[in-house]
Amino acid sequence: MTKANRSERKKVIRSAIIVFAAFIAVWQIISTLTPLRDFVPSASSVISAFIRSFYIPIGKHTMPHHVAVSLFRVLVAFGIACFTGVILGVLMGYFRIAEAIIKPIFEFIRPIPPLAWIPMSILWFGIGNTSKFFIIFLGCFTFITVNTYVGTKSVDPVLIGAARMLGANERQVFLRVVLPSTVPYIFAGLHIAITAGWSAVVGAELIRSDDGVGWIVNMGMVTGNTVQVMVGMMAIGIVGFVLATAMAALERRLCKWNQQEGM
Amino acid sequence: MESTRRDVTKNNKVIICENVSKTFEGKKGSVNRVLDNISFSVRENEFLVLFGPGQCGKTTLLNIIAGLEKPTSGRVIVNNKEVTAPGADKGMVYQTIALFPWLTVMGNVEFGPKVRGVPKKERQEKAKYFIDLVGLNGFEKHYPSQLSGGMRQRVGIARAYCNDPYVMLLDEPFGHLDAQTRYMMEDELQRIWQKEKRTIVFVTNNIEEALYLADRIILLTNCPSTIKKEYIIDLPRPRNYVDKRFLQLRKEITMNMDKSQY
Amino acid sequence: MENNREVLVEVKNLTKKFGDLLVLDDISFNIKKGEFLCIVGPTGCGKTTFLNSMTKLYDITSGEILIKGEPVDLKRHNVAYIFQEYSTMPWLKVEENVRFGLDIKKVPKKIADERVNEYIKLVGLEAFRDYYPDQLSASMLQRVVIARAFATQPDILLMDEPYGQLDMELRYKLEDELINLWQRTGTTVLFITHNIEEAVYLSERIIVLTNKPTKIKKEIKNDILRPRDIASKEFVELRNLVTDLIKWW
Repeated sequence: MTKANRSERKKVIRSAIIVFAAFIAVWQIISTLTPLRDFVPSASSVISAFIRSFYIPIGKHTMPHHVAVSLFRVLVAFGIACFTGVILGVLMGYFRIAEAIIKPIFEFIRPIPPLAWIPMSILWFGIGNTSKFFIIFLGCFTFITVNTYVGTKSVDPVLIGAARMLGANERQVFLRVVLPSTVPYIFAGLHIAITAGWSAVVGAELIRSDDGVGWIVNMGMVTGNTVQVMVGMMAIGIVGFVLATAMAALERRLCKWNQQEGM
Repeated sequence: MESTRRDVTKNNKVIICENVSKTFEGKKGSVNRVLDNISFSVRENEFLVLFGPGQCGKTTLLNIIAGLEKPTSGRVIVNNKEVTAPGADKGMVYQTIALFPWLTVMGNVEFGPKVRGVPKKERQEKAKYFIDLVGLNGFEKHYPSQLSGGMRQRVGIARAYCNDPYVMLLDEPFGHLDAQTRYMMEDELQRIWQKEKRTIVFVTNNIEEALYLADRIILLTNCPSTIKKEYIIDLPRPRNYVDKRFLQLRKEITMNMDKSQY
Repeated sequence: MENNREVLVEVKNLTKKFGDLLVLDDISFNIKKGEFLCIVGPTGCGKTTFLNSMTKLYDITSGEILIKGEPVDLKRHNVAYIFQEYSTMPWLKVEENVRFGLDIKKVPKKIADERVNEYIKLVGLEAFRDYYPDQLSASMLQRVVIARAFATQPDILLMDEPYGQLDMELRYKLEDELINLWQRTGTTVLFITHNIEEAVYLSERIIVLTNKPTKIKKEIKNDILRPRDIASKEFVELRNLVTDLIKWW
């Protein structure tokens, strides 16, 4: 990274911090000094409740437990979604027949929001973790499939020709050209999917449970505890941000070749 | 310097094109005849340039020799076998360079031997030899996106060479480079070719490049392309772009060339 | 030739650093009104940085660029810019593309109409006024770009290797058209290229740059009579002279 880039980055981080601080300040002012204060819990009360939640349990558990439980649910579902999404996407992109069979069904299921699946999910999988996995899975799997599909479709035909000219057979073309050139697309899909899956956690934890960050929000709503609702929202926001950042870092590591550095 | 005047009378034909025609069918039954009954042959270790106006069928002709496209009629014979599919006996270098962006320089150059099952040690030694030969020593672990245009095409040439092809097919390989880098790469290609003799078919629409490199130039007409004229270029190498005979030939061939259709 | 033409552009001690990296090192020269000046240099010299400084995309580290005695101000001075990519707007017809530059400069409609007609005619695209760019060939697109630039009657026209990707035959044709247009309109042109033959073919004067940090290596007058013949003795001599100055390969 060049010097100019680094100072640019510093500038971005600094302005992000300033904007964030300003946001908290405005929130605090609105929630204490304006007529809106009856509807908005104050920033200071939410932040202090958030910090307190680390040692005083909300419900039966403290915040680290809630986050861990939700993360577990999301990561399991995300893992299954990666596996099925990539395979389905590649099948649709590479084989005409698979595209003809799967695509219409897929396009039919795609617009149905994960929340709409909750009743059927309870009927099929009960009220344990399985139905939560299912809801979160539905929240992220479409993004992975669609991106993989588009990626497989947009492999440069010249590269396929180049591999054939070098003696590659059908299988090698698929493994050594089609798959690797789809990787950036898959990652773009994973990136959206991890965020989408994480935000589906609130819906999934509507299904009877007694832990998870989604449960904190849902429970706060049921009991009219707006501070607790916002503490849950805050936890979701922070963890979601960390997940997205981690995903981007992983992508940078694994797709080194895709960074357009030039010379 | 080793003489590059090879015995052009020797009759060992490595590539034979027999009455090759190609017609593309458009969407609404329209037909576009690109190549019309083209016949020629290329001798072993000859540097043949296919030259013609923009958008004539030269790239299509090269793709047919490569086996990437099929002729509508006629046939191509490479090394006594009719060409039916792409394959490792023909090394291809592309205008768009077409490196695998997810592989390093080494990964690209060893790709051919790797898919053909050459053991790792052997293929990497070989790749190293050709990476050095094209002047990229030290760049083995770089990705294509970290290289300049000229360097990328050096990788493209090394990749084609490393697969031990019987013939080399180059499709306007320097078309996207700036004028000076192109001159340099022309010198480099010539140097590499003199070290590692191969039969080369080189497509270009740049008359300077054609004259600088060719043993023989085949001038194609506009679509549907036929062979308009053949020129045997016996200027001594290395050639000079502003040599009197060079400029004369350049004028003569340019005058004989069809006007571009676009 | 016309030594009494007034000086239009003065580049004085132009220096540009990126951090500690010196890219342009104390470059000074003038461009006269109506002149056709070519700048050539080795691949990778700071030609693009130079242009970007000229058009104020980069702040210059020291020195100044004056047009008609005043520092370059893109609001006041009319600087047109043509580069390699055909920068036509795909959603505008040929006529609207040519008009685009005039609209931005807020030229009154009546004058704009006249100019659009005049310049479309000059580049020979009358029959294609209502075509969209993707219906045109490469040479026609380049003509649209040229017409758009000339139609604004710029103080100076900057051209950055506009014909680099075209095949040779087409390049010759467009070069001849450019010379023709330049002679008829008297526009000042600064043409940057890697191609020595092109520079010798087009220019009235050639400035040869060095490798980074970029300096002026030499200024060469080029008064070979037009139309020029690339095989003539004087042409070959000048081409060799410039080649020797920059050859790095």
